[in-house]
Amino acid sequence: MIVAQQKPLEETRRMIAPYPRVLILGCGTCMTVCDTGGEREVSYLHNALRVAQAKGGNGTHTFSEYTLKRQCDAEFLELLADKIKDIDVVLSLGCGIGVQAIAERFPDIPVLPGVNTSFMGMAKERGVWDERCAACGDCRLEETAGICPITRCTKGILNGPCAGTKNGKCEANKDMDCAWVLIYKRLERLQQLEKMRRYYPPRNFRAIPRPKRIVSKANLNTGGSNG
Amino acid sequence: MYSRVNYDTQGYRPNQTEKYSLDHSLMPPCQAACPLLMEIREYIDLIAQGRNMEALQVIRSGNPFPSICAYVCTHPCEDSCRRGQVDKPVAIRALKRFAVEFGGDRMVQAEAETTHQEKVAIIGSGPAGLACAYYLRKLGYPVTIFEAHSELGGMLRVGIPQYRLPRQVLDTEVQRLTHMGVEIRTNTRVVSLDLLFDLGYKAIFITIGAHQSLRMGIEGEESPGVIDGATFLREINLGLKPSLGDKVAVVGGGNVAIDAARTALRLGACEVHILYRRSRAEMPADPVEVEQALEEGVRIQFLVTPTRIKRQDGQLNMTCIRMELGEPDDSGRRRPVPIQDSNFNNVFDTLIAAIGQAPQTPSDFHIRIGKGSTIQVDPATLTTNRAGVFAGGDAVTGPATVTEALAAGRLAASRIDDYLQHRYPLPPKEGRKSLAGDLLPRTIEMIRKISRLEPQILSPEARAKDFGLVESVYDWQAAVNESRRCLRCGMGAEILFQDKCATCLTCLRVCPYHVPHLDTSGAIQIPVDQCQACGVCVAECPAKAIVLRKPYDRRQVTEELNHTLKSAAESKLKPLIIGFCCQYGLFGTGALASLWRKTGAGVWVVPVLCVAKVESDHMLRAFEMGAEGVFIAGCGEQCARENTADWVRQRVGKVRKTLREIGLEPERMQAFVSETANADVAQQMDKFSDRIGNLYLASIIMQEVKR
Repeated sequence: MIVAQQKPLEETRRMIAPYPRVLILGCGTCMTVCDTGGEREVSYLHNALRVAQAKGGNGTHTFSEYTLKRQCDAEFLELLADKIKDIDVVLSLGCGIGVQAIAERFPDIPVLPGVNTSFMGMAKERGVWDERCAACGDCRLEETAGICPITRCTKGILNGPCAGTKNGKCEANKDMDCAWVLIYKRLERLQQLEKMRRYYPPRNFRAIPRPKRIVSKANLNTGGSNG
Repeated sequence: MYSRVNYDTQGYRPNQTEKYSLDHSLMPPCQAACPLLMEIREYIDLIAQGRNMEALQVIRSGNPFPSICAYVCTHPCEDSCRRGQVDKPVAIRALKRFAVEFGGDRMVQAEAETTHQEKVAIIGSGPAGLACAYYLRKLGYPVTIFEAHSELGGMLRVGIPQYRLPRQVLDTEVQRLTHMGVEIRTNTRVVSLDLLFDLGYKAIFITIGAHQSLRMGIEGEESPGVIDGATFLREINLGLKPSLGDKVAVVGGGNVAIDAARTALRLGACEVHILYRRSRAEMPADPVEVEQALEEGVRIQFLVTPTRIKRQDGQLNMTCIRMELGEPDDSGRRRPVPIQDSNFNNVFDTLIAAIGQAPQTPSDFHIRIGKGSTIQVDPATLTTNRAGVFAGGDAVTGPATVTEALAAGRLAASRIDDYLQHRYPLPPKEGRKSLAGDLLPRTIEMIRKISRLEPQILSPEARAKDFGLVESVYDWQAAVNESRRCLRCGMGAEILFQDKCATCLTCLRVCPYHVPHLDTSGAIQIPVDQCQACGVCVAECPAKAIVLRKPYDRRQVTEELNHTLKSAAESKLKPLIIGFCCQYGLFGTGALASLWRKTGAGVWVVPVLCVAKVESDHMLRAFEMGAEGVFIAGCGEQCARENTADWVRQRVGKVRKTLREIGLEPERMQAFVSETANADVAQQMDKFSDRIGNLYLASIIMQEVKR
């Protein structure tokens, strides 16, 4: 799941300053799950902006709020077609994908990112999220016992641990587990410690072109310009 | 083709969606168990908030004579109360008595207008007859009650001893009926129904009760000194004072036997023995009454039955035989079997036989009599074999409870109305689904155990002296605390907007009772039979997909906030401080009354039912509408949940962070949910309002300086 964080209120207020009529647009999928842009957060941001407006007095806006099931699919965005006639800007609480999908679908209306899309991860507990995947496009989790060194090791090294590990913790952050110690322990448990002995050559990140495109349907020519 | 997504449920605003107006709550087990289907959960909740008059209104809407039930109801509701699975059931009857006494029941004036011409006669003035008269008068019929005894009330008057039901209570209810215009004919025994029809009555309701005691069928039963229980109680209750002698025996194990024994004790008998042929477990009498009788000195001999009575020298020589329990009989209780050669003799002055009663219907009524001399009726319409003649109460069911009789009276009134208006009797209204299923052990584990508060009762010595009332009423604090034990079954949270649910598992993680769970298809389920309606998941759900099942609960905080803000806007008092205050406990008991006095300084209170239901949105909205300070005051340690304060602090923390980002002082937002004494909270509140006052002053000065 994509995890994001709301932008500081100050930044949001600066962004919307030129636009009198603002639509705060939530997203009902990942942003709801990570407590950043669901219906509740849309309404909270709405209220916060109104309080700021009431107390600060820098320009007046009219706000409206709406939450889509997903912002990253054009079909869902159709529901906005009527709404954007009466507004000057969309403040999207969707991830970066949602913001771009709106920009693509509605070329004539400015769209602002309300959140900083941060990573792909999972909930540790209620209200705490951890990064788990870097979407590198070349998964090595089979060799590392299901623990990703690219995201969970501060250095992202493929042949760990480095010399900075101490008591199973990382030298960069004493509270953070060393990913390679975790990998070692789990391989030991799975009786696959020989995987530790292997050498993983450096990966050529330049070989992975951006932006990527995946085509899952058959009988279609791939390649060419994609973004 | 693009598929369309239905967004009809988007935006949960008052009166915009049809779903909003629907009550999704289920009927709780207590209500389902009540013959009158009283809204017990609702009035218990009102008592918990200290809203006694409203509680009484709810009670009165379902019960014509709440004050009577408040004293003598056998409370089947308590037997089915699910709090009993956690610790002990909520003391519903005692709470009703509190609501009746402190809700101003004596002030209630029932009024009725005559809108129909058809006269109705009611034979018998027991609870069924009185209830029928009440509802028929409400429907606008001229009603006449015929009562054979000198006073109204039937078994309430002549069967139930005064120490359980004070006569003033009964008199008040009777008086209310007279006020409504019910014609009352006491000392009038009806012998023929034809006569009544000749007198112009269009319908007759027979509620003659079951006053005829059953005979023991043993030798010597007719001897002087042997009296039956119903007659004994009737004589006492109508003012006679029979002399009993020193040693009294009561035969039987029902409520009448216990009442007779305790009455005998109060009349001055030195020794009162109850002889019961089964053991204590099989006794049909109310266990509380049995316990009280034992405390007062009544002795109970179990597994004993008399076989012969012989009168000798002014005393009764009674031969008894011991019993043992055999196979269960039709009633499910084990059948007593005499033990051979276990006879023994006992000498008593008086013997009271209270082994059951049956109705005695005059044969001139010409109505069909069924098993056990009861009147045969159609249970759905209460009609007898004669047109226009209805019957109900003990006369139909055999000896039963007051509530059942009241329910029969109510049913009879509506059926008589149907009959007189030539309507087809409507089937009973499609009721709400009732809640089924027990609490799971893991839910029970998470529910805070709170012991049941029994109302005070007089010491055995003090109460056995006379016929004064045994049980006292709750004081306010005790009633509030006791009513807060209600688990509010069947009104919990539900995922109303499944299409919005992102299955984020927030509800599953925040529930204090671990109620929500994932089903095999990967959808979240909130089982209604486990949910305790705390509202934490409702306030936390990021998709706002969860709501409480009762419409009022869904909008309560928002509506109260809007209302308060509206009132506050008209006030000139500054600075404006908005407080979300728990209505349970704190204000229910008036412990934070000082807060209300602060209202003069601009403190406006938004009453909420548990501060866990106040969302961060509500707090921000208060600021937006001009509040200089906002606080939340919870009931602290009295709360039904231990972690309510944590949720409040988290939300307050979030709002404070936002305030800081806006450039306001975070201390404008305050939470008072301390687990310590209430007085402490009041002091903190004073400090808070002072601080807000200073901030407000400072901001005005700043504005002046800017100019």
